Amino acid sequence: MRKGKITALGLALAFLFLFLPAAALAGGNAADGKKVVDTKKLGNCAACHVVPGMEFPGDVGPNLVEAMKNYSEKDRTMLRERIFDERKFNPDTIMPPFGTNKILTSQQIDDVVEYLLSFNNKK
Amino acid sequence: MRRFFHFFFKDYLILTFAIGLLVAGAGRSAFAGAGPASGIKEYKQNISTAEYEKRYNAVYGKFTEQMAEQGNPAGFVLDDGRDLFKKVEGSAGKSCASCHGENGEKLEGVAAAYPKYDPAIKGINTVALQINRCRKDHMGAPELKYESYNQVALELYVKSLSNGVPINVSIDGPARPFYEAGEAYYYKRQGQLNMSCAICHVKYAGHMIRANLLSNNRHHADHWPGYRLKWGKTGSLQKRFRGCNKKVRAKPLPFQCETYRDLELYLTYQANGLPVEVPGFRM
Ligand code: HEC
Ligand code: HEC
Ligand code: HEC
Repeated sequence: MRKGKITALGLALAFLFLFLPAAALAGGNAADGKKVVDTKKLGNCAACHVVPGMEFPGDVGPNLVEAMKNYSEKDRTMLRERIFDERKFNPDTIMPPFGTNKILTSQQIDDVVEYLLSFNNKK
Repeated sequence: MRRFFHFFFKDYLILTFAIGLLVAGAGRSAFAGAGPASGIKEYKQNISTAEYEKRYNAVYGKFTEQMAEQGNPAGFVLDDGRDLFKKVEGSAGKSCASCHGENGEKLEGVAAAYPKYDPAIKGINTVALQINRCRKDHMGAPELKYESYNQVALELYVKSLSNGVPINVSIDGPARPFYEAGEAYYYKRQGQLNMSCAICHVKYAGHMIRANLLSNNRHHADHWPGYRLKWGKTGSLQKRFRGCNKKVRAKPLPFQCETYRDLELYLTYQANGLPVEVPGFRM
């Protein structure tokens, strides 16, 4: 009886422990992310990528609406790393290291990730 | 749009720009892959030269036509440069014309070999620098502030005396280390955005960065000083350097500093064989 209770508590704790970080990472806000992506002084992602609703996008990098079709929730960490510093994936990339060079804050990067992942939910 | 545009400048109709583009196209393919080995891994342009030309003309072609109709506001600056060339200034009571010919005849074709190594300064001499050296050493006149109206006007006039002459800068012998320093700077990652000149102007040339088509550096040094719409005035090649430094949030350097002179040599060498065509005209 008691033992069962402790196990349950333990399980609950383990559960929290396992999912808390993911929950913390998911602490982004897609609407704020859109602002970061579209603002010239911040993400300015349209300089190189097609992103929703931005006129005259650049074509240096891949169309992000298309690219996001290959991403799902399980790629969240990887997606965040790419925006933080794409050099980890391509050492000679032209994409600015938004995290490493403090172009964006940690929160702003979370927001951008949330926004990008939301592309797949629409329509 | 600008009141300048009501004027017509038949002498320097910017047809030269259109011709320059065509010549650049021809020259560029012959040039592909050239450039001395300096240990730097040079980029190759992502897209073919033919595709590049197509895109460049699609974006800037119409602008070129417009320009040919309306004339280049830098024509005024060139006229003022000619007047300044003949103006007596300084304690020696001389003008540039006193030593270099009434209309600068003795300087015809000279600027096509600039920038060049000069043992007197143990470094790279530019036209802008030489103007100030002549004022100081030969005229007893104060040096002109770089990028000031008079300095740009004189540089433009001296360079116009080489219009049509194929650019022929030397990077041999003592010039070599300075050329290599220029190239190293061109390939160095800079600024908060961490980009090199080369990644935009070689690797991704022909791509759009937002609404701007990235141009290939083959055609960068043959038409400055020139008028730029965005500036609303006439400026030098080194003013463009500073603009692009700021674009990547890097610190712009002082005009005519050693690094910019080396960089100017590097870029002008990329234009070797193309005719000097000043004043240029860009968006
Ligand atoms: C200066 C150009 C540039 C800017 C600005 C830029 N990127 Fe990129 N990005 C690229 C390039 C080029 C690639 C392709 C991979 C590479 O070359 O490293 C890329 C790849 C990506 C990828 C991976 C796409 C895939 O196919 O898997 C993502 C995601 C991405 N960028 C997001 C962003 C976001 C978000 C921003 C704005 C905060 C941004 N990028 C700003 C150039 C840029
Ligand atoms: C008193 C004579 C004198 C005057 C006046 C003078 N220069 Fe010079 N200039 C020289 C001499 C001598 C040289 C050779 C290099 C040196 O000694 O600086 C020279 C070199 C040059 C060169 C490079 C020529 C080459 O073959 O590489 C240019 C360009 C030039 N001068 C432009 C000007 C301009 C523009 C002015 C007016 C602001 C001017 N000079 C005034 C004497 C003069
Ligand atoms: C983010 C990409 C980028 C980088 C990095 C960059 N530039 Fe530019 N540069 C541009 C754009 C955009 C223009 C305007 C359109 C064009 O001609 O390419 C331009 C224009 C120029 C021009 C004028 C071209 C002409 O036709 O007259 C010169 C010269 C130039 N850049 C030199 C440099 C130098 C030198 C560096 C390195 C210090 C540099 N650029 C770095 C994007 C860049």
